Amino acid sequence: MGASDAAPRIGIYVCHCGGNISDVVDCAAVVQAAADFPHVAVAREHSFMCSDAAQTVIIDDIRNLGLNRVVVASCSPSLHATTFRSTCERGGLNPYLYEHANIREQVSWVHGGQHASATAKAVRLVRAAAAKVALLTAERPIEAPVRRHALVVGGGVAGLCAAGNLAEAGVDVTLVERSPFLGGHATELGKLARIHVTGREVTAALAHVVLADPHVRVLTNAEVVRIGGHLGDFEATVRVRPRGIRGPVEPDRLRAAIDACPEEVVGKVGHGTRTHKALYLLYDGCLPAVAAIDFDRCTRCGRCVEILGRDAVDLDEPAREETVQVGGVVVATGFEQYEPYVDEFGWGKPGVVTLPQLIQILHETGDAKTLTIAGRTVRNLVMIHCVGSRQIDGVHQIPEGRTLNPQCSRMCCTAAIYNSTELRARFADLRVYQLVRDVRTYGRHHEQCYQRASEQRLLFFKYPDHEPPVVSDGLPSDDAPLAVTVQDQFTRGQTVRLPADAVVLVTGMAPGGAATLIEQLKLAVGADGFLREVHPKLRPVELAVQGVMVAGTAQSPMAIEESTAAAAAAAVKAAKLLTRETLSLDPQVARVDPARCEGTGRCVEQCAYGGALQVVERTESGRTVRRAEVNEALCKGCGACVAVCPHNAIDVVGSTLAQLYASVDALTAQEVA
Amino acid sequence: METSTRQAPGRRPHILLLTTADSSYPGADTVGQMHLGYPTNTSVVRIPDPVMLPERFYLYALRRGFDGILVMSSGAESPFQGTYQKLAARLDALTGTLKAQGIDFRRVKLCSICTVCTAAFLREVKRMSEVLAEIGPIDPGSVTVPD
Repeated sequence: MGASDAAPRIGIYVCHCGGNISDVVDCAAVVQAAADFPHVAVAREHSFMCSDAAQTVIIDDIRNLGLNRVVVASCSPSLHATTFRSTCERGGLNPYLYEHANIREQVSWVHGGQHASATAKAVRLVRAAAAKVALLTAERPIEAPVRRHALVVGGGVAGLCAAGNLAEAGVDVTLVERSPFLGGHATELGKLARIHVTGREVTAALAHVVLADPHVRVLTNAEVVRIGGHLGDFEATVRVRPRGIRGPVEPDRLRAAIDACPEEVVGKVGHGTRTHKALYLLYDGCLPAVAAIDFDRCTRCGRCVEILGRDAVDLDEPAREETVQVGGVVVATGFEQYEPYVDEFGWGKPGVVTLPQLIQILHETGDAKTLTIAGRTVRNLVMIHCVGSRQIDGVHQIPEGRTLNPQCSRMCCTAAIYNSTELRARFADLRVYQLVRDVRTYGRHHEQCYQRASEQRLLFFKYPDHEPPVVSDGLPSDDAPLAVTVQDQFTRGQTVRLPADAVVLVTGMAPGGAATLIEQLKLAVGADGFLREVHPKLRPVELAVQGVMVAGTAQSPMAIEESTAAAAAAAVKAAKLLTRETLSLDPQVARVDPARCEGTGRCVEQCAYGGALQVVERTESGRTVRRAEVNEALCKGCGACVAVCPHNAIDVVGSTLAQLYASVDALTAQEVA
Repeated sequence: METSTRQAPGRRPHILLLTTADSSYPGADTVGQMHLGYPTNTSVVRIPDPVMLPERFYLYALRRGFDGILVMSSGAESPFQGTYQKLAARLDALTGTLKAQGIDFRRVKLCSICTVCTAAFLREVKRMSEVLAEIGPIDPGSVTVPD
């Protein structure tokens, strides 16, 4: 007799989840109630059911008490149903004789402070799970083919790193990058703290690996416009905009063509600090090393064609769409730089720039002995930290259309202080003032930047959360175009007025760039607007949609080393799924009870999947009968067929009508509290 | 509309939330992850798609004492082909049956909830609660369930 045929002996296990559940739900009361449910052989509670110790208890109970069904009441099944099915399997029980009751996300986390009624609800849900599990049958997973191919969306540091790691693991990769060039925001950083190499050097190293790998196909100037599917089989439509230049051309001729291009474009390069032509290279040494034409600004005057020839330039190249079929997706769409709003800390005044702009200005300054911003030699430079980050309702006046960002952007302190020390090293007469709320040089070795800043006698002022500095026009006595007034907490709240030739707003990272994927794949987004992983500790970099991982700053503000670490993790997790021959999927398919089926064919009429369900004739006991038959490879398990059968002869495995009726009985066994 | 004699006053209404495994169940999880609150007189059942449920199921649930049923489908974005249209048609037919039995058809409502539709989730629960506050708990004996 199989386990599912024998009389049910159910084990029920209630998790405290530390205090996440037990702070609201009386777990002991749930266990006490569960012990009296029909067929329950044992009911226990544990601080963490997902711990090895608690799983061992389940395994021992299966073996020692002869359990043939298990219910765990804990967090969402999206987190741990697989864990506990595996536990059952290790105890020798078919993993499909398991049911999950979600008493954290759907009880304790939504019913805080309502102990009695929340406990009653937990009892209700566990009773329903017990009623259902008693009717479950032993099943085997369905083996489905997996496309050994990943889509990486985003060609910045994280995307490049993920693509390289996936290819190394033997997975084909299609990398889609929105801009014509690889590298993302990192290409606009100067020297990086701690490792003292430039962002361009880091991205070049990663991009060379990817571009040289035959397993990686790189689509630049491209965006995912449609995407759908499921783990093992996603389909994306990628729109590739025309590049206009067919391949590498001789540098001198390219330079001449760029010089001849009459169209100036502001803003795409250098955070608005400089312009480029409609025909452009992002920078010398950018990758791919092929120029691109910005067709939004190109007038098709033909001057580049005159210099480079029609073999090199195609002004009539159309945009194209192509379909990519993959088994998994890595979202590495990065972030948007926070852009201050008008008048935020003087934004809009000449001489007020953001930190990314300062870095770009430094890059453009070359070997000059003085720093020039907005046409003025800078002797006094004030940096204001936490612009656009750690905002407080009522203190920061957020314009309509924007949302308050209470989060710390994490990277800005180190970036600002590191660049300040670079400034001091390059421009000996430059005075740099740091206006901070706190200093959060949190990363490994980042504190050394702070120490170096002290050694270089950078001056720090600490302003109160509720009283941000004020940027105003300088007075004649200031001998500077700007002045910053700050209440300095280091000097017990003294008001300090700092004349400034330039003010640098230390801005952080804002979410952005993944709208299409969020909308079409229904990816979960946190209150901060960044993508939210399933669980920060237990399932990092995994998104709730199976087969979709997140890499880098699409998830939260990160340093480059954190981005690459997250990207490597995402790649490994994706590779783990995609390098299998097949995926084991839950057998959520329709199943016909031949003893009840009379071959009416009504189920077939409802089925939208050609060939998944058909009525066949067969011989039973010497007579020809008609019976519905399911092709499990084609059935999607929607259940459209179930509702119409007049004989209740068809069900979806794991969600039969009998199980659902039993759940309803259990949920209504007692009135709600 | 139901008459007062068909209601069982004094009982706290019980709302059944029929959720889809791919969409509204994760949506309910998202509500929890954001620690947003809704009443405890709710019970979530997870199914592949409510299109699988025959009319009898709804009547049975009402008969058993659920006072309101929110059918939280995946809407037009269901991963299953054509199920939303079929579901809508079936619930339309159910409305006729409820009316014929003298049961307020507002006790069963179809809505679409995605994995991140937290506001819509809370709004639907609130609206159903308001409807049930208005019409009161169901008298289970008034519901006829076909064999």
